[in-house]
Amino acid sequence: MDNSAPTQILLVDDEPTLREPLAEYLAGQGFTVTQSASAAAARTALTEMTPDIVLLDIMMPGEDGLSLCRHLVETRQLPVIFLTARGEPTDRIVGLELGADDYIVKPFEPRELVARIRTVLRRVARGAGAQHTDSEDWHYSFEGWLLDPLKRKLTDPEGVTVPVSTAEFRLLRAFLDSPRMILDRDRLLDLVQGRTAHLFDRAVDNQISRLRRKIEAETRDPQFIQTVRGGGYRFAASVKRIAPTPGSG
Amino acid sequence: MSADKPMLKRLLPSSLLGQVMASVALALLVAQVVSAVLLYRAAEDRRQTAILTQAAFQLVNGGQRRAGAEERITAAQERREALRERPRSRRGDRPQGRRAERREERRLARDERPENEGRSPPPTTGGLPRPLRYTVSTRNPILPAETLERAAQTERLLENLALEEITPTAITIGVRRAGDDPRLLQFAETRPRFRMRSEWKERRLFLVAIQREDGAEWETARVLEPQRPRAATGVLLFQTLITFGFLILILFLVLRRITRPLAELTERVSDFSRQPDQVVRLAETGPADTRRLIAAHNAMETRIASMLDEKDVMLGAIGHDLKTPLAALRVRIESVPDDAQRQKMADSIEDITATLDDILVLARIGHGLRPNDGVPLEPVDMNALMMSVVEEFEDLGDPVSMDSASEKGRIVASIQETWVKRALRNLVSNAVRYGEEASLSLHQEGGHVVLRIDDIGPGIPADRINDMLEPFTRGEASRNRATGGAGLGLALARAIAQQHGGELTLTNLHPGLRAELRLPL
Repeated sequence: MDNSAPTQILLVDDEPTLREPLAEYLAGQGFTVTQSASAAAARTALTEMTPDIVLLDIMMPGEDGLSLCRHLVETRQLPVIFLTARGEPTDRIVGLELGADDYIVKPFEPRELVARIRTVLRRVARGAGAQHTDSEDWHYSFEGWLLDPLKRKLTDPEGVTVPVSTAEFRLLRAFLDSPRMILDRDRLLDLVQGRTAHLFDRAVDNQISRLRRKIEAETRDPQFIQTVRGGGYRFAASVKRIAPTPGSG
Repeated sequence: MSADKPMLKRLLPSSLLGQVMASVALALLVAQVVSAVLLYRAAEDRRQTAILTQAAFQLVNGGQRRAGAEERITAAQERREALRERPRSRRGDRPQGRRAERREERRLARDERPENEGRSPPPTTGGLPRPLRYTVSTRNPILPAETLERAAQTERLLENLALEEITPTAITIGVRRAGDDPRLLQFAETRPRFRMRSEWKERRLFLVAIQREDGAEWETARVLEPQRPRAATGVLLFQTLITFGFLILILFLVLRRITRPLAELTERVSDFSRQPDQVVRLAETGPADTRRLIAAHNAMETRIASMLDEKDVMLGAIGHDLKTPLAALRVRIESVPDDAQRQKMADSIEDITATLDDILVLARIGHGLRPNDGVPLEPVDMNALMMSVVEEFEDLGDPVSMDSASEKGRIVASIQETWVKRALRNLVSNAVRYGEEASLSLHQEGGHVVLRIDDIGPGIPADRINDMLEPFTRGEASRNRATGGAGLGLALARAIAQQHGGELTLTNLHPGLRAELRLPL
């Protein structure tokens, strides 16, 4: 990638059978990996080094991952990706509310993990990171529609939930983060990858058309996501960020 | 008879309180009726005895009066004759003597009348005017049809008469409607006041006829039955009501002590079956039996709740302890150089993970929790939901498509999105696995939204369709591939449908299988 120095990863997991091969794999992908077997060990390691990103297991003996995450986000402003065996949506929301940047459920595809690490790092590098942790749970609002970034929930002006896939959510969020700006395919491509990594070529166009089917009244004459000649898309409506009402969480 | 039974059952109270109250009320009613009948019969007996005693008195009286009258008539005639023969007194005495003479005359005339036809008041209490009380006739005035055969009463009557030294050779007791008695009618003709009061006609007239010697005249006493005392039934009714009210009140208070804790227990049990994770110790109230029952229930509830807790902890542990080594395995296979081999391993791990998730979800639904631990249902765009699932499969390169027959308009249903998605995913992956390709469509039928998944596979033998919905069941061995799941997919989809108040149905299309997930809107 475009990083000059190798990316430093702190990997915190109590299970050596997972931690060790994962560290090996990530090293093979060009990262420098430091391993910690517990939250306490991680705190010690952090006194000597400053990683670019922390991969954190939630369920650990002693101090758990959620508690360590709170410390990392509040005092060090480090990006965190949770690794967890529990895939309930409520668990994911708890993790993201603590300020984690992403959440991946075990067992995961190692390549997907790498893609997510790169996405988070890129977002942090763009400078959005510091700001975005503050308003992570703020909802996006456009023309009566609401997008809850934590629950990944899109609701239409009538309050009806419109299910979106992960790729669609990322894409829509990218548009909502930069309304009225032209986003080129390469930039959108990062967002759409993941499990669908082998379908790169048509992925963006595909996802755009799917998203249009869900949010546009007339897909042939899109009001929100407009195609820009010369390879790109633009979100045409104005977007507001609003604080979530206490009851909606 | 059998047709009447449900009707009867519907009328009877079903609760313990109602049943006990109803049976006590019934028993009380029977007891009251029996005692009322006995009381009535005793009263009737007394009345008849009184009537017959009066009849005996009338017979004695009447007989004496008749004998006395005969004597008086003879004596009066003798005196009259003596008067006529007496010489006239002196003048000074005359007026006085004449006045005494007239007085004597009147008295004689009165004595000569065979019967006193005095102005007695109309009969109300059973007393008849004197000429009707005692009559003499040559024939027995009581018809055979009117005769009362009462040995005990006849005996008593004879005893009464014997006290007056009357020993009749024949005695008949009879009863008839007063309005049918020729003597009474005849008497009424001459007495307008008596005639106008017609109520007596409906009363019973008792007659006692005796013959003092064979072939002698029949002497008859008539006694009009006195009017029944009205108050008797009223008092009886009042007494019954008081007893009723008192008993019912006591019963109600006692039974409520039993039924109220029972009702609370019932409510608690049904609450518990809905939300077994909330243990509430029920207060032990009521009689000892009920208290023991409540105590036993509390112990059981605590035990069940702790077992369910243990189960949740165990499920969490299984999930965690299996997924971590799976994750390790998934990372390790990245070092397998052969792409095809690695992909197969990755697929296997994914299958194991999916099955594990299904087991965990099914186990949680199994103990009656609302989907996703009480996360409320929310309106969801079902077209978008179905499309999202189709896209997931499309992205993996599976032959899954939206059918053009699908409803174009928007359908919104109140559901738990993640769970319905999971059910739909299971049905689609089954269709892809066993039915080669899946074609999805969305329909609205009445108050339900129908998510339909058609495949083009061999379908399921008709007799196996219901088995397929049970956990850990799979189709025939020929369809059981290496990648096959644990047979949980359909069971889970059905459990989710039922959690939403809907259902899952499987139908053979020949060829192909149609799975329909039907959810209320």
